[in-house]
Amino acid sequence: MPPIVRRLAGGLAMPFGSVVFAFVVGALIVGVTGANPFSAYAGLICGGLGIGCTQGENPALEISNTIVFVIPLITTGVAVALPFRAGLFNIGAEGQLLAGSMACAAIGIKFNTLPSPILLPMVLLGGMAAGAVWAGIPGVLKAVVGAHEVVTTIMLNYVAQWLLRFLIIGGPLQLGPGTSKSLPIGDGARLATLLPADNSLIVLGLPSSVFRVHTGLLIALAAAALFAFLLWRTSFGYEIRAVGQSQKAARYAGVSVRRTIILTMLIAGAFSGLAGAIQIAGVDHNLTDKYFSDTTGFDAIAVALLGLGSAVGIVLASVLFGALHSGGAIMQSDAGISSNLVLVLQALILFSIAANFVGAIRRGLPIGRKPSALPPELPPAAGLMSEAATAPPETA
Amino acid sequence: MSDEQLAVDMRGITKQFPGVLANNHVDFSVRPGEIHALVGENGAGKSTLMNILYGLFPPDSGEIHINGKQAHIGGPRDAIALGIGMVHQHFMLIPVFSVGENIMLGREPVAGPDFYDHARARTAINELTKRYGLALNPDARMGDLPVGLQQRAEIVKVLYRGANILILDEPTGVLTPQETKELFVVLRDLVKSGKTIIFISHKLKEVLEISDRITVMRRGKVVGHLTTKQTNEEEIATMMVGREVLLRVDKKPATPGAVVMRVENISANTDRGVPALKGVSFELRQGEILGIAGVEGNGQSELMEVLAGTRQVTGGRVLLGDRDITTYDARTERGAGVAFIPEDRRGTGLVLSFSIAENSILGRERSPTFSWNEFVLKLVAIKEWARRLVKEFDIRTPSIEVAARNLSGGNQQKVIVAREMGSKPKVLLAAQPTRGVDIGAIEFIHRRIVQERDEGTAVLLVSAELDEVRSLSDRIAVMYEGRIVSIEPPDAAEERLGLLMTGGGAPREGAA
Repeated sequence: MPPIVRRLAGGLAMPFGSVVFAFVVGALIVGVTGANPFSAYAGLICGGLGIGCTQGENPALEISNTIVFVIPLITTGVAVALPFRAGLFNIGAEGQLLAGSMACAAIGIKFNTLPSPILLPMVLLGGMAAGAVWAGIPGVLKAVVGAHEVVTTIMLNYVAQWLLRFLIIGGPLQLGPGTSKSLPIGDGARLATLLPADNSLIVLGLPSSVFRVHTGLLIALAAAALFAFLLWRTSFGYEIRAVGQSQKAARYAGVSVRRTIILTMLIAGAFSGLAGAIQIAGVDHNLTDKYFSDTTGFDAIAVALLGLGSAVGIVLASVLFGALHSGGAIMQSDAGISSNLVLVLQALILFSIAANFVGAIRRGLPIGRKPSALPPELPPAAGLMSEAATAPPETA
Repeated sequence: MSDEQLAVDMRGITKQFPGVLANNHVDFSVRPGEIHALVGENGAGKSTLMNILYGLFPPDSGEIHINGKQAHIGGPRDAIALGIGMVHQHFMLIPVFSVGENIMLGREPVAGPDFYDHARARTAINELTKRYGLALNPDARMGDLPVGLQQRAEIVKVLYRGANILILDEPTGVLTPQETKELFVVLRDLVKSGKTIIFISHKLKEVLEISDRITVMRRGKVVGHLTTKQTNEEEIATMMVGREVLLRVDKKPATPGAVVMRVENISANTDRGVPALKGVSFELRQGEILGIAGVEGNGQSELMEVLAGTRQVTGGRVLLGDRDITTYDARTERGAGVAFIPEDRRGTGLVLSFSIAENSILGRERSPTFSWNEFVLKLVAIKEWARRLVKEFDIRTPSIEVAARNLSGGNQQKVIVAREMGSKPKVLLAAQPTRGVDIGAIEFIHRRIVQERDEGTAVLLVSAELDEVRSLSDRIAVMYEGRIVSIEPPDAAEERLGLLMTGGGAPREGAA
């Protein structure tokens, strides 16, 4: 096997292994509870990918619904992956997303009479700015006083959630007394759907207005491409990676570690904020109480990890998570299995990544050992030596 | 000889790692009560052989006899039971534990059901240290001890486990010259009390000083068995490298030009805030190598960091030509023409997971040569640059996309040297430029440093190896406790330099 293939296979073993693990354990859970795991997964596949539908679902509609979920996952996935490259763990994508959606809604409501060419950029940039602020705070705290970003980003998630509650329940954006949603944003602040919202136009057997896929998809894909470009083709991306791999070496090379940390968080927050703004501008058009229990920013962590922090990987992992999310409803209606199984599967995937089962299995098998991973100047077994030395060899 | 019982007798040891034949029918034998040196360049298979002896992994073929009996060593536990102990190059100690706790770890004497018995532990350690003449306070916190004493604790730990055959892996790599001397005294005492010692090293002077016999390895094979008294440095070096090696640096007298860098009375603190530099002044001229000699920890590292822009001064100033560069950070220093080879190549000189190509622009990723508008990387130019460096500096690698981590120490160092010299600097700061690299690479790097000098670069060299400083430098500044105590000619006697380095001796006329 040429080294490149081996490296690729080694790299992909983790994500694929984790997904397989989750589905096997998920099937066991379904089986133990007396249902048929095959029909459960058939429902998921139909609902998620529009493949193999038996109950008359429209495949195109299912795919459309999946893509609506995929869009914010890609953007927030990037927002987790970028800091990850700099050695930072951004758990705050959710809070940043909410900040972005609030800013988008506020601007979209306040200036609801402006025409689209002005208002749409305003709400999207406003959302990005709000997200950037929300992530910038932990960034500055990390860079200046060394506060751990995991703690600060988590705390800011709560702040964002309660701020949202305040805004739409009794606050300035509330639609009316007794409601828990905001006023709608102006028409000019809305992202167009990919297909014209025209009930008389029939596309693939359905009126085109039911397809909710919106132009945010293009923005999300552009965000993923921008992420890859930034990381691999720019001096700044180079510095992000250098800081993430060795702060000391980066500092000796003249890279300002503080500046890199702050900028990375600002950019990441802008991506998350963009995701929030896109949700408002493209899907919901107002803030609602469903955002209280939104988990996109948390799913993004799994997406970034599963996607190995690469743009293509993030898009693929987003498709998987979006399909799970979207397929849950069909699974529930077709196979009669609670869509909460999807949450179990997502958790199992994340758990498997965190516990590194795949790595453990690979280490246990002699074929998994990669000679190229060991520096030739050391005895090729230096890696093994440290393992052997950490195992308690002298307990006799 | 055949009727003499050998302490260790390894016969026909072969160990194949994927892609590397680490040991190829190696025969290795050690007589009881001798200090046996195992020498060879990095990657020659020394450590593999010793790890096999210590049971860290099984050989593919071959047999091991310990004290005349065939032994099956399935793991370190078996090795320890056979009286084999190993002191690793990187200590396996817990800094927050006391010396006693570290030594006892895993074999703690207990009182009652499960309580650590401090009294018994202390007695046991005192007994051991007294028997072997190893002064060591069992109650001291390990992390507070100097490296030499930490190593001593490692040795005591091994002795406590009943070792009769001690394997010391590169034990002097981390020690100061004084600590090395003390270690050698300890080793001789251990041999006197009946222990057998296997001494792994690539420092030939030390090997000649301490060992009785020498086994030389090269590329997985034993290439020579030598008796120390009947050999010399050149012979061992030639065996190790497989060709004639120039141990002396071949250079013409310097032709120093104008003063490039002027250091005026600078002071600076260590990371802990303790003064490290207490008023250092010197001038550095074009086309000369100024070597800084001194026992490690006397301010050399901090001096280099100040000049490279990674440490702030608390006083004084640095001039590059007419420009005051005292407050420059690392990036602006580089831009101004000051190149820096840092002493810790794995920690600060390279990003180990980066490829050679990526490492070749570290610190210059925003320069117009490698980026448009300080932003978009010129990937083609970077690749060309990296290929050129690989060729020009003889970096042994299959491709420029190989991660620095996967290069040998010597080649890693060459990547740094190439990067820094390749930028055509006015001043080259070289801190420990050949630490821990093999002889071939040392020879190469020395030649390049001299070549750099001959092309008019001002070179400031810091090295813990006095030999290196003496053979490369055109002037030698001796540092002691944060000051330059004297500036000596390159032919100054070793004894005089040694005296100055430890705070003795009178400075020469006109020295700062």
